[in-house]
Amino acid sequence: MPPPKNSLTDERRIQTKMRMCVRCLGSAATLVLGLILFAHATSAQTQPTATSAPIPHGTVELVAENQWIAPAHDFLLGLRFKLEKGWHIYWVNPGDSGEPPRIDWKLPAGISAKAIEWPTPERLGTSSIVDYGYQDDVMLIVPMHADPNVAQPAPAQFAAQLKVLVCREMCIPGKAQVSLALPIKSQPPPPDHGNSTLFATARQSLPRPAPASWKFKLSEQKDSFTLVGILGRQISNAVFFPLDESRVNNSASQKVVPAATGFAMTLPKSDQLLKPIARLRGVLVLSADRAYTIDVPVSKPAVLKN
Amino acid sequence: MKRSILFPITIALILCAAPLLIAAAKVGDAAPDFTATASSGKTYRLSSNLGKYVVLEWHNNGCPYVGKQYNSGNMQRLQKEWTAKGVVWLTILSSAPGKQGYVTASEENGYLEKMHAAPTAALLDPTGEIGHLYDAKTSPQMVVINPQGIVIYDGAIDDKPTTDLADVPGATNYVNLALEEAMAGKKIETPATRPYGCSVKYSDSAH
Repeated sequence: MPPPKNSLTDERRIQTKMRMCVRCLGSAATLVLGLILFAHATSAQTQPTATSAPIPHGTVELVAENQWIAPAHDFLLGLRFKLEKGWHIYWVNPGDSGEPPRIDWKLPAGISAKAIEWPTPERLGTSSIVDYGYQDDVMLIVPMHADPNVAQPAPAQFAAQLKVLVCREMCIPGKAQVSLALPIKSQPPPPDHGNSTLFATARQSLPRPAPASWKFKLSEQKDSFTLVGILGRQISNAVFFPLDESRVNNSASQKVVPAATGFAMTLPKSDQLLKPIARLRGVLVLSADRAYTIDVPVSKPAVLKN
Repeated sequence: MKRSILFPITIALILCAAPLLIAAAKVGDAAPDFTATASSGKTYRLSSNLGKYVVLEWHNNGCPYVGKQYNSGNMQRLQKEWTAKGVVWLTILSSAPGKQGYVTASEENGYLEKMHAAPTAALLDPTGEIGHLYDAKTSPQMVVINPQGIVIYDGAIDDKPTTDLADVPGATNYVNLALEEAMAGKKIETPATRPYGCSVKYSDSAH
């Protein structure tokens, strides 16, 4: 069963407690509490205030890379998931089962969100059913842009309504509301040391575009694709994650044949692939910290399967 | 001594048989035959339904994607509508003992009654044999077989891969489409889709 929904933020909870206390305490205590509240409100104007929300078997938090945002500048927000051991969420292509997290943004006027930047996933599952997703801690980075005329000086209020499926032996759908207030200043912000480390780590887990010197070729057989990579050196280990669903058989093993200049990899087709495709997009993982996005056209004219 | 001779032969046999064992039903292929015991106690054999359309529905009562279809009444509506038109509707329970969705015959009968479900039968497949035969990945994965015994649809129940009940009314139901098109003698426009949902809880499943 999903944990009870709790939209009360820590901050609000504290404020609610404070209000309750104010009623029952004497005037001296009221004054002290008033000062605390005042200090709290003052700090909220200069420090980003983030909230963490519960999801099934974990939490999610909306965080910003920097302390404030500036007009006509790009900036990064992140949805930071912390999951209990053994539980996972899904990549944009979830694989055989499951569903990726979905974000519904509520953004201030003049702010626009770009697509989620998905970290390199891992293969999860058994011989017959394989999913693509994330365990433990993962952050989904969402690049944002502030228009030149974004309203100042009020803090920008960001809110995201999140739907996320969390699975282990079983799957539990969760919903969460996360929010963040960021001041808007005319000057771009200096790096925020706390969160810049967090975002740098998250960026390292993103697949990078494959170097232009690398060449890939994709040929098609009746039941499989063969991906040939020419990288200028021998490659013995490689794993391919298909970006689009119903292209590659997720649970089939991917046979890699090393070559002097790279590798050849057999990718069995999905049973759901009944029409020819023009290209195959995905993430090629060569080692734990080397993952690359590739987009390879099918090299010969596709022939209709019976 | 005997073992040293038999061992390579056994390995060779396994290697030869392996591709056959993993070749599951695909759209356009003959539907693999099976025999199973229903929660009612009756025995069902797929091939005894030749001449009729058959729908296979993979079920797991703890899966939220299945819950979406049953709590909205959509699955029961489909079962009633199509069985009334002569379609054989077989709900298949491939969860292994101890896994989510595993039920005894009487528990399943209680569920069918409580949910007002109306399949032709609910088939108990605790070994996952039928599930693997069709390479069923998820609940609620759906398979449609035509009167000639050919798989004409395999995949998702509809085009809304979510757990939200609110998504049921606006969804395009692929089972309806396949049955309607086939019965009208038309080409099946969408014969295969990604079967969204929860992974089937086979004995070897870890997630």
